[in-house]
Amino acid sequence: MIIEELMIHEMDEKEKWLFEHTPSLVTRVEKISDLQGPKDAMAIVEGLLYIVGEDGVRIEQIAMAMDIEYNEALDILKDIQRKYAKEDYGIELVDYGGYYKFLTKKEVHPYAQRLLDLTKTNSLSQSALETLAIIAYKQPVTRIEIEDLRGVGSDMMLRKLMARDRIREAGRSEAPGRPILYEVTETFMDSFKLASLSDLPELPEHTSDEESESLFSE
Amino acid sequence: MPFLASTEHFEGPLDLMLHLIRENKLDIFDLDVSILCDEYLAYLDRMEELKLEVESEYLVELATLIEYKSKRLLPKKDEGIDDKYEEDPRENLVRRLLEYQRFKEVSERLYEAYEDRLYQMAKPMSEEKGFEDAEDGHYDGNIQDLYKAMNRVLRRVQLQRPIATRYTQKEISIDDRLLAIRAKLKDLPDVFTFEELIDDCKAAEEAIVTFLAVLELIKDSVLDFKVGNRDEIYLKRSAG
Repeated sequence: MIIEELMIHEMDEKEKWLFEHTPSLVTRVEKISDLQGPKDAMAIVEGLLYIVGEDGVRIEQIAMAMDIEYNEALDILKDIQRKYAKEDYGIELVDYGGYYKFLTKKEVHPYAQRLLDLTKTNSLSQSALETLAIIAYKQPVTRIEIEDLRGVGSDMMLRKLMARDRIREAGRSEAPGRPILYEVTETFMDSFKLASLSDLPELPEHTSDEESESLFSE
Repeated sequence: MPFLASTEHFEGPLDLMLHLIRENKLDIFDLDVSILCDEYLAYLDRMEELKLEVESEYLVELATLIEYKSKRLLPKKDEGIDDKYEEDPRENLVRRLLEYQRFKEVSERLYEAYEDRLYQMAKPMSEEKGFEDAEDGHYDGNIQDLYKAMNRVLRRVQLQRPIATRYTQKEISIDDRLLAIRAKLKDLPDVFTFEELIDDCKAAEEAIVTFLAVLELIKDSVLDFKVGNRDEIYLKRSAG
């Protein structure tokens, strides 16, 4: 009981919700040891993933709901991921920003478009993209640092990105005036297909003359 | 004045400078600030000609460029001991340009992932189904709720048929409507909403008459009623 309270304390809103809702699923399973084998556990985790849908679920949450170790949960998730990676499945299990979730594969989209008359609305402006890139690579970072790099005012853009839950405040810098620091969110990681920030492509280095030629010749 | 349009769009002064450097085949590591400055100024002039607003950020960087350019034009002093402190004024600008270039490039790669992600879709989280409403439960609403719900229905009827092109008044008596409803009841499920009942009503009056008829039926214990959370009126055939 004490442990549970501690866990709730450290969880954010979404996790709290999940925490409060997932146990009801577990009661029906009783204990993982009652299950017939690893296949069953995989089936249940698959079901859980289906239920959580776009919100996704963390490894810790699966471990808790299934009453298994973190590493076991991770193994099961990886197994499911491998299973759905095969060509004969139209959905896949992704891990973006620490949340595992089922998504339709990219190849499905053209057909979905015909079926549902989808419209693409979530396009991202070049300035939003640049701002996000700078924050992702340099976080935690202040507005001044971002503006210095881009050469343009970024106040409005930062507000917009915050409203869209792509970035959030991450405390304050020790610099004079204690400016606000910014960092990217899990939603950002999801929209850019990143498991973690270490998955970001490497920043190109331009230091030598040879590179500059390839860079600036058409 | 001829119609002029610029298709180029720059994200800021640094973006513009990078474009000009490429355009004029300048070497970024041995930047000819004079050429860059002239080109930059020419571009801003063009923007003004096109009656485009030149944002203040562009002017700030213009000042920087002019400063660098003027420093280059001044004869170099023989500084002797201070030699190693002499910094190439371009260095700062070049560093910023390169740094900006890096992020601009990586942004393009990030965008590919972003676009890919747009093609992938997920389901919303499953919700537990609520059973308390409508079908089951007690059918003993209070008359005040019923009154409020009816008002809402009327409002909706009016909203749905806002423009009356022709006005034909048709007298319908409650008795006629009662008969029609009794006949209709046979085809309706055990539980139905008031709105299903007024599906065929074309005017607010008809809905009102139907409502009066329903009140009559409730009085005669033919129907029971219940008002839902969103003011829906549920009706149910009485057991008795």
